[in-house]
Amino acid sequence: MASREIVQYRSPLRTAYGIFAVVFLAAYLIWSLLPLFIMFVSSIKDLLEAFQLPAVGDWGNAIPTFFNFTPTFAHYENLFVRENFGVYLQNSLIAAAGSAAISVVLGAMTAYGLSRLEFRFKKDLFFWIISTRMAPVVAVIVPLWAIFRGLDLVGTLPGLIIAYTTFNLPFAIWILKGFFDNVPYAIEEAAMCDGCTRLQALREILPLVAPGVGAFLVLCILFAWNDYLFASIIGSGGAKTLPAATRGLVQPQNIQWGSIMAAGVVTTVPMMFLGLLIRRYLVAGLTMGAVRE
Amino acid sequence: MAEINIDRVWKYYGKTVAVRDLTLNCADGEFLSVLGPSGCGKSSTLRMLAGLEHITAGEIRFAGKRVNDLPPKDRDIAMVFENYALYPHRTVYNNIANALRLRRMPQAEIDKRVRRAAEMLEIGHLLDRRPHELSGGQKQRVAIGRAIVREPQLFLFDEPIAHLDAKLRAHMRGELKHLQRTLGTSMIYVTHDQLEALSMADKIAVMHNGVLQQYGTPADIYNHPVNEWVAGFVGEPPMNFVDCELAGAGGDICVTHPSFSVPVTPEQRARLSDTTAGPVRLGIRPDDVTVAMERGPETPIEAKVFITEPIGGDMLVDTQLADGRRLLVRTKPGFSGRAGDTCWLGFNTSRWHLFSSADGRAYF
Repeated sequence: MASREIVQYRSPLRTAYGIFAVVFLAAYLIWSLLPLFIMFVSSIKDLLEAFQLPAVGDWGNAIPTFFNFTPTFAHYENLFVRENFGVYLQNSLIAAAGSAAISVVLGAMTAYGLSRLEFRFKKDLFFWIISTRMAPVVAVIVPLWAIFRGLDLVGTLPGLIIAYTTFNLPFAIWILKGFFDNVPYAIEEAAMCDGCTRLQALREILPLVAPGVGAFLVLCILFAWNDYLFASIIGSGGAKTLPAATRGLVQPQNIQWGSIMAAGVVTTVPMMFLGLLIRRYLVAGLTMGAVRE
Repeated sequence: MAEINIDRVWKYYGKTVAVRDLTLNCADGEFLSVLGPSGCGKSSTLRMLAGLEHITAGEIRFAGKRVNDLPPKDRDIAMVFENYALYPHRTVYNNIANALRLRRMPQAEIDKRVRRAAEMLEIGHLLDRRPHELSGGQKQRVAIGRAIVREPQLFLFDEPIAHLDAKLRAHMRGELKHLQRTLGTSMIYVTHDQLEALSMADKIAVMHNGVLQQYGTPADIYNHPVNEWVAGFVGEPPMNFVDCELAGAGGDICVTHPSFSVPVTPEQRARLSDTTAGPVRLGIRPDDVTVAMERGPETPIEAKVFITEPIGGDMLVDTQLADGRRLLVRTKPGFSGRAGDTCWLGFNTSRWHLFSSADGRAYF
């Protein structure tokens, strides 16, 4: 293999570029982390303390004012004791994990078929599958709601799982097909000569597409977990998830800012841990499928 | 162990014909090599035998039983692939053991067989490694190990040593032949390398453009090629071909060219019909031409040395006839001619070949 080293020589332009890169990254880091930080800090502040803002231009007092509070878990207590967030958290988990699991199983089998078999109109079929993702969700939500109501699925967890699967499945097929395309067919042929049936041969190569499946599983979960539109329309009533429930904290006469911040933390933290947990897989998975060797 | 019959088999990919009306038999315990250039239909034939491709028309029988509609797992064959196709996520041990596990063999027996195969192939010390930690030659041994532990009724080898370096390839030729003799299992071995086929096989089937050209022992194929294509494909360095005329002269039939006119032997004459007078293609191997610096009774044909190539134990002399036609000769390293010198050639007429100019068919 050829050397991968990129040779760089010193020049004023390169130095300037290096400084610019550091400044840009620092700004980007603050830009992306600050809202999360404010959310977390506000969730453990009393409402009065949370709204104690320094005067405009008074930078000297900004930091002390911001950190001048006594931590309280009252908002979290409110969420889980009075507002039933335990149930909503469970709903979110079931909806996200359920749709991800179904999408991966069906998606892997479809992707495998599309990758391995040749048949007439294959390209058209593949394009049609992807094209179902082209329409914005908002455009189809009303007819979808009508269908779901007709089937008595509105306000139920199975309804929500089906709704998410509808949107995750094409994506699953599209991504996983790339992974299957990268696995040499000869390995399955060898497996079949070894004594496997076709389905057993598919099982033989599953470990080779595991990074893809893992990466995709996370994307599916993220989509369902963060979704608000489906949750508020299809899931309204019996199957409230965290984002929809958070919306419920905005009441006409009382916007519960502290609890909203706490709900934000409850919604964000599990996904951040999931991201950290499978970070290696995610990066390997998303790049591996992209490059054909 | 079984006799394999390929009976009038055709293979189409869409409208492209890959194999045309192929009939071929492999006797029990025989080493059959299918030889041909890439795209000649040899791999398609092997894949139809394995059950990895549908048979468009015709029939394949193992021990008299039609297998056309049997999936690979029910055919009791073991295949070695050109790119080895090992399971990348499994250790060498598990790669070899997989087929036995699928047959629900007791663990003790699996272990015994895997270790015996590994010992036979000298990969016993690699059993805990994964394929990406192995060299090409080691991977290829693992692929063979995976095939032999099964003790199947037929081995199918698809250019298994094509990707090894020359020295290892020469070594593996002997190893594979020895292995096949030891196990006594029928083997069908696909290759594009005529040296592999000649050196290893009991029988060779030469294929070209999906059509079986010739089927016979290595000596048959080498000494009595049925047409110009087989004659040119088998043998290294390749056979020389010269456009000549066939003409009668004083009771003899002579092969004539502006540079020479040489009579055919009486046996060869018997194989030529009266109608063959006219243009023919003369084929003669570099080994069957003699070259000398002096004109003599054995070397009456004048030529010029074009270039000489010493290849160790022998010397290849590329000569040029009066009409510019080149003729390669294999001689001893002592040959003293240099480029541009006049030299004298002689043909070993008992070993030359004459082909029809029209269709390439061999007269003798």
